[in-house]
Amino acid sequence: MKFIRATSQFVIVTVVFSATARADAVSKQNFAAKIGYCQDCHGVSGQGYRGFYPIPRLAGQQTEYLENQLRAFVEHRRTNNVMFNVAHNLSPAMIRALATNFRHFNPRPLGGAPKNLVTAGKKIFEDGVPDANIVACAACHGPDAVGKNEFPRLAGQIYPYVVKTLTNWTSERGQIPGKPDTSAVMQPVVHSLTKSQIEAVAAYVSYLQ
Amino acid sequence: MAGRGRQHTQNSARRGLPIVGLQLASQAAILTIAFTTAGRAEDAVSKHDLQAKMTYCKTCHGSSGQGLRAYYSIPRLAGQQPEYLTNQLRAFAERRRTNNIMFNVAHVLTPAMQKALVTDFHELNPRPLGGAPKDLVEAGKKIYEEGISGADIPPCASCHGPDAKGNEQFPRLAGQLHDYIFSKLKNWTKERGQNPKEPDISAMMEPIAHGLTEPQIKAVAAYVSYLE
Repeated sequence: MKFIRATSQFVIVTVVFSATARADAVSKQNFAAKIGYCQDCHGVSGQGYRGFYPIPRLAGQQTEYLENQLRAFVEHRRTNNVMFNVAHNLSPAMIRALATNFRHFNPRPLGGAPKNLVTAGKKIFEDGVPDANIVACAACHGPDAVGKNEFPRLAGQIYPYVVKTLTNWTSERGQIPGKPDTSAVMQPVVHSLTKSQIEAVAAYVSYLQ
Repeated sequence: MAGRGRQHTQNSARRGLPIVGLQLASQAAILTIAFTTAGRAEDAVSKHDLQAKMTYCKTCHGSSGQGLRAYYSIPRLAGQQPEYLTNQLRAFAERRRTNNIMFNVAHVLTPAMQKALVTDFHELNPRPLGGAPKDLVEAGKKIYEEGISGADIPPCASCHGPDAKGNEQFPRLAGQLHDYIFSKLKNWTKERGQNPKEPDISAMMEPIAHGLTEPQIKAVAAYVSYLE
């Protein structure tokens, strides 16, 4: 386990430092330590974890989305005390390095969602529910749910995390009315989705690789 | 503190009345237009249904119909020609134009709802999203206004208008997403006119889409994307 973690850290540190223009902005040691800290909760390969809280997958996540979320936690636009504490002492260079790092992981999804919901979830994801004014998730998140730029990857995301996130959207995101952010785009969607539709779509994306 | 608050509210109300009145008037005007053009009362679209449907459209097409760069580049609908939008919605529903997401959107719309939606989108006028390489604009303007005589490409302006606002079935291009335009022109014959038994107006663009080179498409797309 330690060997795998050390090896993967080495590989990732190499990738990140060749990828980032200003490697001197974040020291290798600080970066490696911070990655280890993230991995404690988000998994060695960023695959997420079903603990007391469902902790989301970060592996393969869009860099711009991760950066936006870290900033949202710091500014309390997104409510999460643990992540506020994680994020608020990160320098912009460290945020950029961390967000880039997780992009490169690709572990298998954790799985575990009810499989009988997947067919219905796929239909909602690809076609939406036009009679109920529910947009097709694929329009913004892509047909394979990998996302783009500020639109997050959903493929392989933890099932209970997606359910909780969609259910509690307006009580967790966009919390400063004077500082509206990109989270507003999801408001009409979460408003229209029923509980069983949320569960179906969450189950579907959780199995995507 | 409370007294100051109350006075502020009163002052705002007095100052705000003309603005609020204007908002209400324009909303009423739009709804009136939408309802009178909708035809018979039984076909009419309820305010609530129209608003819900517009919110649904705007989730992908942008809060003011300006378009959205998500996984796909989702086109601007603001200021679009109602006849063009109506034709596209029908093309999607009949699968003459290929797009699974828009097929699902379009095939449940009643004619009355279609009419109300295209009318509402036509009234919107947000600033263009921008983002195209600015160094292509000059070349794009030349192609737009003069065409490419060597390749038998007529000036775009001849059908889309000198200001790219379009006319009736010819779409507005002004402020359209440059990457959307590029993708559509490149893939024209793969996406449009898909029913050989029912050829449609999209056939007009085939020789043009075919004749333009990629750099020319990028230039023209950049040019129109900045037009307001």
